[in-house]
Amino acid sequence: MSQDSNSRSGLWPGLMSILAMLLIWTVASQLTDRPQTLPAPWQVAARIGHLAATGELWFNAGMTLMRVAASFALAMAIGLALGLLMGRSRRVDDWLNPGIIILLNVPALVVIVLSYIWVGLNETAAILAVALNKIPVVTVMIREGARALRPDLDEMASAFRMAPAARLRHVVLPQLAPQIAAAARAGISLIWKIVLVVEFLGRSNGVGFKIHLLFSSFDVTGVLAWALTFVAIMLAIDLFILRPWERRVNRWRQDAA
Amino acid sequence: MRLDLQAKSFAGKLILGPIEISVGRGERVAILGPSGIGKSTLLRILAGLDRNFQGRRDGDERLAMVFQEPVLLPWRDALANITIPTGCDRKTAIEWMGRAGLAGHEAKFPRQMSLGQQRRLALARAFAAGPDILLADEPYASLDAETATRMVSLTGELLDRSGAGLILVTHDPNEGAALEARALRLSGTPARLQKD
Repeated sequence: MSQDSNSRSGLWPGLMSILAMLLIWTVASQLTDRPQTLPAPWQVAARIGHLAATGELWFNAGMTLMRVAASFALAMAIGLALGLLMGRSRRVDDWLNPGIIILLNVPALVVIVLSYIWVGLNETAAILAVALNKIPVVTVMIREGARALRPDLDEMASAFRMAPAARLRHVVLPQLAPQIAAAARAGISLIWKIVLVVEFLGRSNGVGFKIHLLFSSFDVTGVLAWALTFVAIMLAIDLFILRPWERRVNRWRQDAA
Repeated sequence: MRLDLQAKSFAGKLILGPIEISVGRGERVAILGPSGIGKSTLLRILAGLDRNFQGRRDGDERLAMVFQEPVLLPWRDALANITIPTGCDRKTAIEWMGRAGLAGHEAKFPRQMSLGQQRRLALARAFAAGPDILLADEPYASLDAETATRMVSLTGELLDRSGAGLILVTHDPNEGAALEARALRLSGTPARLQKD
C-alpha cells in the first residue's frame, strides 16, 4: 500500500527531472558550434524513428537482448548455486573464495579478450565472457543471504522429511528472495553494459556492433539513438518484469489486510 | 520406537547419561524436568534430528514434530503450510485445519494470524503428516493459561482421533497429566530418566 503511494508521488518529480535534462540537452546542442558533436534531441528522435522503420533497430536490439538474457540466466543460475554452496558450507567457502575474489577484480575487458582468444570469436565466447563478469557478484550477494538462512525452518524441513527439491523451492529460495532480486536488478544493468563491449570487440550484429561502426564515422546522432533506445528497453524490463515480480514474491510480508 | 542412549555430550561436556525409552502407537509419555536439563536434546535425538550421540535408535514409525515456536513458512499461506511440508492433499489439510479450529483461515499468511492460531496450525500440520508418534517440545509455552488449556485438550482430542502416540517435553507436570501421559523425569548430571 505504502509502496504504491510512494511510486505515485515519485512520478511527478521523476517526469520533471527528465524534462529538465531534455531542456539542458536542447540548450547545449543549440550553443555548440559543431552540431555533429552534440545533435539536438529531435535529430536523435528522428534517427530512432528511421532505424525503427527500416527494421534495423529491432534486429540488432533483439540480438543484444538475446545475449543479455542468455548471460543473465547463466550468471544467475551459476551464481545462485555457488552462493548457496559457499554460504552453507564453511569448507567450500574457504576453497572457492580466493577464486571469487580474483574474478571480482579481473577487469571485464581482460575476461572478454581472453574468452575470445581461448574460445574463439563466436556467440559462446561472448555470452561466457559476460556471464563470467557477473557470476562472482551474484555469488557474493547470494552467499550473504545463504549464511543467514533460518535454522529453525531447516530443522522443520528435516523433521517432516521434505524432499530436496521442495526444500529448495519452498524453504530456501523464498528466504533468498531479497538477495536474488537485488542481484537481478544490479545484474541486468551491469550485464547489458558489458554485452555492448563484447559486441563492440567481436560480434557482427547487436547494439554494440552498431556503435562500433558509428564510432568510426564519428556519428554522435547514431550513437545516442542506439544508446537511448536500449536504455529505454532495459528500463521497461525493470519496470514491467523485475518490479512486479519483486512485489509478488514479497506479498507475504504484508500484515493483516 | 526405541532409544538406547549411552551418552550425549556437547563440546566435551556430558549432558545426558544412559537412558532407555520406548514408545509405540497409542502410548503417551511426558518427559519432565527443569529447563536446561537436556529435555529438548533428548527429543531431538528421538526425532532423528540429532544423530551425534552414543547409543542406538530403532524404529520406523512415522514421526511428526511440534516445535517450541510454530516454525511456519511465512511466505506460504496456512493451507500450503500444511500441504508442502507433509505432502498431504488439500482435502486432508482442510480437514485438519477444521479440527484445529482454523476453518476459514486457509488463505491467510502466518503473519496475519495470532500466535495461538499459528500454534494450532503447527499442531494441525503435525497431525496432517499422519504420524504414528507425535513429538512435541514445550508446545504450550508462551501461551496464556486459557489458550494453553484449550490447546492441551485439543491435542488430546486429536490424539484420540488419530490413535497416535505422544512424546511430550514439558516443565509443567499438569500438561502431561491432562493428556494422561506416563510421566518420566529427567534429573541429575548427566541427566537420567526417573519414573515419577
